[in-house]
Amino acid sequence: MENFTNEIIDTTQLPRFEEVEFSVLHPNYWKVTLLNAFFFFLIFAIGLGLLLYFNRGLVVFLVDISVIYSVLLITAVLLSRIAFKKKGFAFRTHDVLYRYGIIATNTIVIPYNRVQHVALHEGFVSRFFGLAKIEVFTAGGSSSDIQIPGIEMKQAENIKQLLMGKIQKKL
Amino acid sequence: MEEDFKQPQRQSSIGVLLMFVTTLQQWGRALWPVALVYVFKIDELNKGYLYIGIAFFLIVIGIVAYLKYLNFTFYLDDENDEFVINEGILNKTKTIIQLNKIQQVNINQSLLQRVIGVYELDVDTAGSNKKEGSIKAISHFLALGLKARLMENEQVDSYTESSEVESDEVDAEARPFMSISFLSLLKVGVTSNYVKGLGLIVAFVATVFENSKNFISQYDFDDEKIDAYLDKSRIIQSVAIITFLILSSILIINLVRVVFRYFDYKIARQNGSLLLSFGLLSTKSTIIKPEKVQIVTVTRNFFQKKMNILELKIKQATSGEKEDRKSVIEIPGCNESESVEILKLLFLKAPEKGMMLKPNFRKLVFSIFLSIILPLTGFFAFAKFIQPMFMDYVYVVPIYVVFVGIIVYFGFRNNRLYVNDDFIIKQSGAWDVDNKIIEPGKIQAITTSQLFWHKSADIGSITIHTAGGNISFQLGDYSKIKQYVNLWLYEMETSNSNWM
Repeated sequence: MENFTNEIIDTTQLPRFEEVEFSVLHPNYWKVTLLNAFFFFLIFAIGLGLLLYFNRGLVVFLVDISVIYSVLLITAVLLSRIAFKKKGFAFRTHDVLYRYGIIATNTIVIPYNRVQHVALHEGFVSRFFGLAKIEVFTAGGSSSDIQIPGIEMKQAENIKQLLMGKIQKKL
Repeated sequence: MEEDFKQPQRQSSIGVLLMFVTTLQQWGRALWPVALVYVFKIDELNKGYLYIGIAFFLIVIGIVAYLKYLNFTFYLDDENDEFVINEGILNKTKTIIQLNKIQQVNINQSLLQRVIGVYELDVDTAGSNKKEGSIKAISHFLALGLKARLMENEQVDSYTESSEVESDEVDAEARPFMSISFLSLLKVGVTSNYVKGLGLIVAFVATVFENSKNFISQYDFDDEKIDAYLDKSRIIQSVAIITFLILSSILIINLVRVVFRYFDYKIARQNGSLLLSFGLLSTKSTIIKPEKVQIVTVTRNFFQKKMNILELKIKQATSGEKEDRKSVIEIPGCNESESVEILKLLFLKAPEKGMMLKPNFRKLVFSIFLSIILPLTGFFAFAKFIQPMFMDYVYVVPIYVVFVGIIVYFGFRNNRLYVNDDFIIKQSGAWDVDNKIIEPGKIQAITTSQLFWHKSADIGSITIHTAGGNISFQLGDYSKIKQYVNLWLYEMETSNSNWM
């Protein structure tokens, strides 16, 4: 009790979350995104093809359909590129930060002592590139959970270990 | 014999059957339109192909179910005190739950599980609704053993809880320190929920009108004649009467609803918890534990301010399955001093509004755009290009603009975020003004957000996540917001505040 002090906190001297250097996602994750988009659009195209094949009346709209299809494809790729570039994560001593967003820049911060549990997710395509997604869950519901994709499996395992260690210690 | 669960193990092998049925259900649900098509064409189809198709489908599901079973393993990691579940065939997920975070382990049995003699074990941590981990097929013996291992760390807690319950029973008949009088309930009934009441009435009148019209047309009345009659004779009088009727029925409905629901509202204090009981026909009672309270909303409109009453809504974080999660508890119609009294019990001190953050004027511009300019453009475009008849109703436009304009303006003016050392208070609302109160210690996570064209204007938004819901404040001074975020993070990370 004698050692107890209660100094005024100088809020300007606190560590700033907005100045943290974010780590970017693994470059291979961009390939994963592209492949996923490719598969999606491939299935989409097959569906369209079948539709045209069985419904010959629609063939007159062939040009319109292909224009819309390519516009959708290009926008999707562009947007995912921006999203990929903007995504970043950082692990500080006491909290984890994740940045994302296309038009808005969102930064979510979860202190380790609020983490409830952690999950590692390996998608089918990601696994070929040795990448995993880390999911961090809090008690605040789905809007306050974060999912960091594009992390190398080994690093993801380490991060999981780090998170679990931090949760356990309770400061 | 004691299982140690250290080695990754699969579910009971009979679980394949369960997987098969659940997969069949899932796929069946996804593919039923296809199935429907075939049912209608059943005569045109070659029966042989159909049977081959069905057999193929079932075999595929069987393989998928078997692979699911093979890939689902769970184990206890003793070194790190973790419970780990691996699942997924192509997309693999590994869920890691720390033992001391586990709040509940439930063992259930559905009908199908009963038939094949297995149990389901669900692991639940605090907060979110969903089950964090679920093992679908496990023998009763293993389930009990695993539950015991998972709950080992909990024993201390559960012991203290049970002792609490005992003492609860001792003075179950605690003396209420506050009760809401009939008069207050009348006041609440008269002043609240106009919009809800209006909605009810509109729905009611619309159905009655529609039905009576059908009825009348059956008897060959001339629709137009009735309309003309309504139009010409005493139109002003009837409008006045209808308005009066609507208003008075809103009031009466509200009154009856409030009185029935909250009659004889009593609040008692018991071992630091609040005990509420209310209701005319059936008495409901609830317990509020102050440490579990996440968000308290104080609501008041202009009339209620004049009558010195306000409404409290309390959101708790719950971990039990039996209680409603994130349940909202309402305390209607207490006066100012009583509400301060209750808030003091919940927060240990009366919340005060600290530093004020205002939204940027762009928020006002944006809401005007969204709720006035956009609908009007739609209206005029529709009237011009599609249905010129609509132009007859153009006199509604100024009324709409003024009415919505006032609401938007007051909504903007009341939109504030107050911050001091112990409380964050978000004020919002045009007519019913809400004050959402949270303590910084109850924060789970914080999201800050900024649109790229707002960078130079230095404005941005913040969402504060708690176990009882989110609070967000848009387009405020971003530097200040960031400063507060840093402060709150510092406070959360340097203390082990008990958020539930």
